[in-house]
Amino acid sequence: MEFVSPEGLRLDGRRPTEMRQLRAEIGVVSKADGSAMFEMGNTKVIAAVYGPREVQNRGQQTNNDHALVRCEYSMANFSTGDRVRKPKGDRRSIEISLVIRQTMEACIMTHLMPRSQIDIFVQVLQADGGTRSACINAATLALSDAGIPMCDLVTSCSAGYLNSTPLLDLNYIEDSAGGADVTVGILPTLDKVTLLQMDAKLSTNIFEDVMQLATEGCKAIANYIREVNPFILIAVYIWPSLKTF
Amino acid sequence: MVGLSEGEKEFIKGGIAQDLRSDGRKRYTYRPIYVETGVIPQANGSARVRLGATDVIASVKAELGKPSALQPDKGKVAIFIDCSPTAEPTFEGRGGEELSAELSGALQRCLLGSKSGAGAGIDLSSLIVVEGKVCWDLYIDGLVISSDGNLLDALGAAIKAALSNTGIPSVHVAAGASNDEQPEVDISDEEFLQFDTSGVPVIVTLTKVGKHYIVDATSEEESQMSSAVSISINRQGHICGMTKRGGSGIDPSVILDMISVANFVSRQLIEKLDSEISAAEANEEES
Repeated sequence: MEFVSPEGLRLDGRRPTEMRQLRAEIGVVSKADGSAMFEMGNTKVIAAVYGPREVQNRGQQTNNDHALVRCEYSMANFSTGDRVRKPKGDRRSIEISLVIRQTMEACIMTHLMPRSQIDIFVQVLQADGGTRSACINAATLALSDAGIPMCDLVTSCSAGYLNSTPLLDLNYIEDSAGGADVTVGILPTLDKVTLLQMDAKLSTNIFEDVMQLATEGCKAIANYIREVNPFILIAVYIWPSLKTF
Repeated sequence: MVGLSEGEKEFIKGGIAQDLRSDGRKRYTYRPIYVETGVIPQANGSARVRLGATDVIASVKAELGKPSALQPDKGKVAIFIDCSPTAEPTFEGRGGEELSAELSGALQRCLLGSKSGAGAGIDLSSLIVVEGKVCWDLYIDGLVISSDGNLLDALGAAIKAALSNTGIPSVHVAAGASNDEQPEVDISDEEFLQFDTSGVPVIVTLTKVGKHYIVDATSEEESQMSSAVSISINRQGHICGMTKRGGSGIDPSVILDMISVANFVSRQLIEKLDSEISAAEANEEES
């Protein structure tokens, strides 16, 4: 199948290095401490943050000097093209929950909130590829809406390689085409990679290009997130010395 | 989870007794309702309903299936509700399942009528394609995104809006199939049939707090309730289903009283909902 036309356009009319349209909104769940809706094209997710609050289940608290971060990812029955009723807590959602938790833990300043717990819940309303990235971006916005101190924003974006062309921000059809899919999460100000996942295979120099493209995508998303919520409290700006670690 | 002090509890109860609730409403006043249709493009119909801080989405998906042997002339409808943990941290994992099952059961009772399909809000015989062989199965999925009380009424309204937003593709049946084989069908991509949703009832939940009962309770008010009765009423003022929740008993005469109040309130609610749905559909066509 041809994923890039001879004119250099993709199936949905985008150029290879073009992202889908982004749309975000904060404060969509009024009862939560922080919440955000994030759309990347037809992929639409909602994230809600509760906390920092008292640890609900003492057994889960392993480290007394740091906040406990928890995350749950769930997909609505109607989010996919074919309606499937999945039991809660299938392997895929557990894996994505873990990925999101680890990524968010890397940027939350957990040592400032000992003996407390922060819950992040992400709900997929529409899935069209890149749900992982969309969830991370939504979680970042929701955490910033809740006013939770972070050392930087994490943003995430995917890129792939089809028809000998690196493609930014794959949709579902491109994602299931069998080519490589690289999902990257970065801390844009500190310039560090916190999430990197890839399936299928790529040669080393092509991988470099694809990852570079995904990183550019992450930076563009970071700029968009700063536009949506200009009041993000990021420690880097307050304590520049943090940049050194 | 609602944490209230003794003073706050008294304030809520006292306000209800004096017909002036903590958000300034009277006992029989609803919060403003906002309806948005066509929010899920992959579904045949969908709607999002906001009632104060309560926020729900309902979607309708139609699939071709086989009618049951007992009702060969009727299609099938199933309602599933999911409570997202975004609404309440206690819904995490399997925590929301009990409430989801309770809501699904109550909605099925209120909207789908008896087991034979008699008294359903939707005309089930309109879902039949070939009698005894092919029918439409409607899957109605509800999702609670944010909860601030009165989930049942909000879900009922969302399902009503989603159904009126639903287009079922028209189906052409290949002629000449013999009696015992499954007929071949051709689903059209362009022609859609709209439902008649005028018979779909609305649900009015009356929550009893102290001596009085109120409509559209917030979660603070629900935490103080002794019992609640949900009554589904259609445009003709007929009762289509009923559910009582909550631990304590109610006097039978109070229930009859509640029904007449619900009947009165439902008329305003249907009117309000109809105008919101048509406004939402007009809005959707514009964009």
